[in-house]
Amino acid sequence: MNTQALGVEHYLAGMRAALDDLPPSEVAEIMEDVSAHVAELSTELGENETLGQRLGPPEQYAQELRQAAGYPARTERLPVTTKKQLLGRPRVAAWGLAVATGVTLVAGTAALREPAILLLPGVLLVLSLALVHDRGPTQQEIMNLPETRRVQQWLTPEAGTPADRALTYLKSLQPAWWLVRAGLLGLGAVLLASRDILGFLVIAGIAVVSVFAGPRAKVDRRWLWFSLPASALAVGLLLQVIDTTADNLGYSSSRQTYQTPVMQGYENIYAYDENGKLLTNVLLYDQDGNPINAPQGRYAYACTGSDPQPMIPANRYPRPEIQYENGTCYTVAPSMTAPSSTESTPPSSSGSAPSSSVPPTSVSPSK
Amino acid sequence: MDTSQLLKGVLDLAVLAVLRKDDGYGYDVVRRLRAGGLNDVGDASVYGTLRRLYNAGMLTSYVVPSEEGPHRKYYSINETGRVRLAESRETWRSFASTLDGLLEEVAA
Repeated sequence: MNTQALGVEHYLAGMRAALDDLPPSEVAEIMEDVSAHVAELSTELGENETLGQRLGPPEQYAQELRQAAGYPARTERLPVTTKKQLLGRPRVAAWGLAVATGVTLVAGTAALREPAILLLPGVLLVLSLALVHDRGPTQQEIMNLPETRRVQQWLTPEAGTPADRALTYLKSLQPAWWLVRAGLLGLGAVLLASRDILGFLVIAGIAVVSVFAGPRAKVDRRWLWFSLPASALAVGLLLQVIDTTADNLGYSSSRQTYQTPVMQGYENIYAYDENGKLLTNVLLYDQDGNPINAPQGRYAYACTGSDPQPMIPANRYPRPEIQYENGTCYTVAPSMTAPSSTESTPPSSSGSAPSSSVPPTSVSPSK
Repeated sequence: MDTSQLLKGVLDLAVLAVLRKDDGYGYDVVRRLRAGGLNDVGDASVYGTLRRLYNAGMLTSYVVPSEEGPHRKYYSINETGRVRLAESRETWRSFASTLDGLLEEVAA
C-alpha cells in the first residue's frame, strides 16, 4: 500500500513538473482531477503493474491533457517564475497559517487577560487565507510545497509500524478532540464573560463554529485556517487556566508557610525530655555560644517590666508568662499557650505526650 | 484507420453526451465513454476535455469527499453545455450523413 502511495506521489510530482508553466490556479484544478484519477487507478493495478505502464509516463499524460484542454504547448519556465515560486502565494499563505497558529497558541495563554491580543493572529489568518482562497478546497499547491511534503512524510510512517498505529489511533480521537476543543473554547468564553463582553462573543462564536470546522476541514482544506488556530487557542486557554490554578495553589501554599509559627508564634520554647516531662530553666545557646533569644512577645516583657523580680536571661526557657489578674510571672505549660503544631513537639516522643503528661491546668511558678 | 485521430474532433460531443444524464467525475466519464464503445479514449484526453469544457463555461464542478483517497471533483452540464450539445449533435449528424453519402457512392 505504501509503495503504491509512493508511486502515486511520484507520478503526480512528474505531472506537476510538466504543467508548471500553466497558471497555478489551473494547475491546482487539473491536479485535483488527476490526483483522484491516479489514486483510483493505483488501486486497480495488478501485482507488478506500475502507473507508468497503465497511463504512460507523467510527461506524456500531461502532454495529452494539455492538447485536449487546449492549453498552449509546454514552455520552459522562466527564471522569474522560479523566483516567484520561492515566495509564491501558497508558500506565504502556508507559513502565514503556521505562524498565526503559533501566535494564537501564545496569545491564547494571555487571551483571558487581554482578549484583544487575538486580533494579531486573526489578521494574519485573514490575510494568508485571502492569498489562496481562490485556489480550491484541496489547496494542492500548498500540499506540493517541499516543506508540506516533508511534514506529510513524517505523518505517514510505514504501515504497521508502531508510529503508524499511534497515528491511526490519534486520528480516531479527532472527533473527540473537536468536542473537547469546543468545550475549552466555551470555558474560555465563560471566564471572559464578566469582564469583556466582546471577547466573550468572539470566543463563544469560535467555539460554536469550531464544532463544524473540524469535519469541514477534512473536505475543504481552507477550513484549516480556522480549525488549526482554534485548536491552538483551545490549548493556549487550557495552559492559561492550568497556570492560573497552579499560581493560586502556589500562592496559598506559600502563605501557609508564612503562617507557620517560625516567625510570629515563636516567642517561647518548651523543652521536654524523652519521657515527655517538661524541662524548666533551660538555657539555649547556638554553636558560637550566643544565647538563642526568641523574639520577645508577651512573655519576657511582662516579667522584666513592672515586676521587681531578678532579671531572667532572655535565653532561658520556657519564658514565664504574666498573669494579668495578679501580676505574677508563671511558666505556663504549652498545652495552654504554645500552639500544638508539630514544630513544637519533641522529636522523640509522640505528639500527644506533652499535653497528657502536663495537665493543661497545671501552672508552676517560675521562681 | 486510427480512431484516436477521429476521436479528437468529437470528444467534446462525447463527453457532453455522457454528462447529459448524470454528473460524473473524471474517471467515471472515462469509464462511461469506454462502456459506450470508445475503447481507445485516453484518460488524459478526457481530463483535458473536461477542463476545456469547464473553462468554456459549459460545465460546472463540485467536490465530493471520499472516504479513502483524494476528493472527487464531479462535473455537471449546465444550460450553455446543453445548447452546445444540441448544436454539435446537429453538426455531427449532417456531417456523418454527408460522409455516409460519400462512402455509399464509393462503394456503389
